[in-house]
Amino acid sequence: MTKAARYGMSIDVDRCNGCGACMVACAVENNIPPAHAGANDRKGITWIRVYKVDNGKEYPEKRSAFVPVLCQHCGNEAPCVHVCPQQAVDVDPATGIVEQMAERCLGCRYCMAACPYHARYFNWWDPAWPAGMEQTLNPDVAPRMRGVVEKCNLCHGRRHAAREQAAAAGVPKAEPVEYVPACVEACPTGAIQFGDLNAPQSAPALAASSGAFRLLEKLGTDPKIYYQSKKPWVREMANAPRPGARKEQQHG
Amino acid sequence: MLAGGSAMGALLTPAPWRLIKDASLLSETWPGVPRPKTGTVATRFTNCSLCTAGCAVRARCIGKQPVQLAGVAGHPLSHGALCAYGIAGHHLPYHPDRLKSGAAEEAMAAVSGTIAKCVAGERVAVLDLRPGRTHSWTYRRAMNAVRNGLYLTPERQWRSDSAVDLGAAKVVLSFGTPLLDSWGTPGNVIAARENFRLIQAEAVESRTASMADLWLPVRPGSENALALRIANRLLDSGANSKDLPAGFRERVQMAESVDTGIADEQIRAVAGHLSSGGPALVLAASGSPDILALNLLIGAKGRTIVGRRETPVPEQWKNAAPETELSTVPDGSLRVLLIDESAPGEYVPWSSIERKLAPAAVVVAFAWSRDGYGRHASCVLPTAVYPESLDDVPAAVDSVTAAFRLSTPLMEARAGVVNPAEFVGKLGGVDAAGALRERADAIAKSGRGSVFTYADGKSAPVKQMKSDDFWKALNEGACWMDDRDAKAPLPALHFRERAASPVAIAEERGAAALVSPLMSKVYEESRLRLGKRGVALHPSSGLADGARAMLETDCGRMEVNVTLDSSVPPNVVQAAAGSELSDLCGPSAWAKVVRI
Repeated sequence: MTKAARYGMSIDVDRCNGCGACMVACAVENNIPPAHAGANDRKGITWIRVYKVDNGKEYPEKRSAFVPVLCQHCGNEAPCVHVCPQQAVDVDPATGIVEQMAERCLGCRYCMAACPYHARYFNWWDPAWPAGMEQTLNPDVAPRMRGVVEKCNLCHGRRHAAREQAAAAGVPKAEPVEYVPACVEACPTGAIQFGDLNAPQSAPALAASSGAFRLLEKLGTDPKIYYQSKKPWVREMANAPRPGARKEQQHG
Repeated sequence: MLAGGSAMGALLTPAPWRLIKDASLLSETWPGVPRPKTGTVATRFTNCSLCTAGCAVRARCIGKQPVQLAGVAGHPLSHGALCAYGIAGHHLPYHPDRLKSGAAEEAMAAVSGTIAKCVAGERVAVLDLRPGRTHSWTYRRAMNAVRNGLYLTPERQWRSDSAVDLGAAKVVLSFGTPLLDSWGTPGNVIAARENFRLIQAEAVESRTASMADLWLPVRPGSENALALRIANRLLDSGANSKDLPAGFRERVQMAESVDTGIADEQIRAVAGHLSSGGPALVLAASGSPDILALNLLIGAKGRTIVGRRETPVPEQWKNAAPETELSTVPDGSLRVLLIDESAPGEYVPWSSIERKLAPAAVVVAFAWSRDGYGRHASCVLPTAVYPESLDDVPAAVDSVTAAFRLSTPLMEARAGVVNPAEFVGKLGGVDAAGALRERADAIAKSGRGSVFTYADGKSAPVKQMKSDDFWKALNEGACWMDDRDAKAPLPALHFRERAASPVAIAEERGAAALVSPLMSKVYEESRLRLGKRGVALHPSSGLADGARAMLETDCGRMEVNVTLDSSVPPNVVQAAAGSELSDLCGPSAWAKVVRI
């Protein structure tokens, strides 16, 4: 029987300086094209996006922090899996990774509406690179066509390469394998750590057992991305009400 | 009936759905979607030359084409870090804005002709935006040979004979320096960060301010006064130095009446941290002498500001033109100006250069694109870009030892590019082609220091290596570093008069004029940094987020994109990095944003 893993991350918000290296490394690794002429922060594709958040106070009491947000790889009742009419979203039982199969996706974007983390992106245009730049594409990842949804898959190209390497070295193709996603490798401050949550000594497991928090934990989706911060207002922000909830309350 | 039932039954089997999936798999590779190149995978090493940090790079290549760049773990200077710009550096050769051709022969004829016609008092100069390289030595040697030749640099706060030792610092007071956002060698700064307390004095809550242990939201334009008030507390507690800049004590008294926005108790507390928190260091983004003078009062010289030996050069090179700062050149005196923009460094606003030019001066820019000085020069010549160019990267400000590393090309340069060192070398009869090898030989001959090789992560003393082996190691990815315990004379702090801090504040990053198109992830597809021609204003400005507006300064006006950000104080404009906005805001003490 194949040994199962539960890949996850821990992100130390207090160490993130918002440099954007994770976003660029992710785009390089996963062959995400530069912005189309009509793209903006709503239509752009950033599998991991660093948001600048603040404590809501006015200058000079205002304090900011940077929060990298990617697919949270929900471990329980992942909303995107349930709404997909094409079964293009699946949870890999061997890894816990929420996989998006672009070739099955029909582009209805139900999953985008369902995702509480806004971590899914739609290809509004065919992927295009400036002339010649397509030579720099990563050969391990196929670019996605116009009309499909995509999102973080914890660098499946790297994981498969690691599995192949392990197999070549005579190690059975069992999870977990030794690899790190591109964003983890690129983070210059070491704010993002990756590992198997089933392994008690992995960085995410240690974070999970030492008071780390998760985004919108009250939804019960059991995300596998853990965040750490010593700032109370950052921790409170993670439990922000659902969009529209405040409005509903006002209207009684 | 049977046929209908069979059809309905078939629909319930996996077959039709499998067909849909397979058909869509085919459509994945339709002509609109590029196919990644495949081939033999190889790992190569080099050093990034996009900024002065010179981070070590591990490149994953398909044939001769790099497809992925990452840092080199265990590197003694860059500590495995590579910034967003470096990660996407392999895209630069394909940038649509890259210059593809230029009239090199015509430019050479125009320059030679003008040099021949120069009269007394008219100068021929090279402006080097990144001094200390082997190319820089070629410029200095060539300008020494040319009649009226000058070798110019931007104003330099830290010269090659001094360095900042962050590893020794316990308290760092930074006045607007982007310490945690691309300053020095980012990996080195991050590695040292755990050990010092960071106090950031800055009007805007920058990235560094948001991560500092203490942020002092100083009133814009009163940074100098804040430094002088801290100095006053230090003087009160008995600190003193005979090297203080002229008139310092008078200015200290005058600053007491200036409202800096920081409470007296907090100023006293900061002075206390500086004097009793262990070895301290004061950094200033503006290079203001009054701010840097705090280092004299806290005894930073010799503890956190240290001397650094020069990287060896061949003896015959030493008869070269000296470094001259552009600001010290008489106005209207430059008849020929050659600007090397191929190694991005600090952008000098065009107005500061223009005033130095003689009437009908010939200006040649060596550049990757027309975005920088190409907009103003008489002639722009295209150069090779990283990672197809061969260059060396001298030690950054935070490297306590001298260093030498090659940015070895990972791919072939485009046909038609001009090598600026060879162009300038020709003017002075200096052979630039073998200069890097000559310098490497001089280092090997000195027997100083050790070489850290990236492929195996090991260090070896230079004195145990043959010159050829040393050169081979450098080309395959290595970094030479001087002996750590070598004694170097304590540096002099360079004080010069500067204008008051401007109200318009440039955003942190201002290096390469050309960045990978993929940086749109950071600039356009998210709102992580201000995009091209972007300005940030406090929400009380009355303008709408995303509005177009006109930015006016002493130097002119420009249409800009407005972002509202409450990290920016009221009545302050934060401008994005970039040559256009630097030209507009750099020398200006005020800025105004007008609704259009």
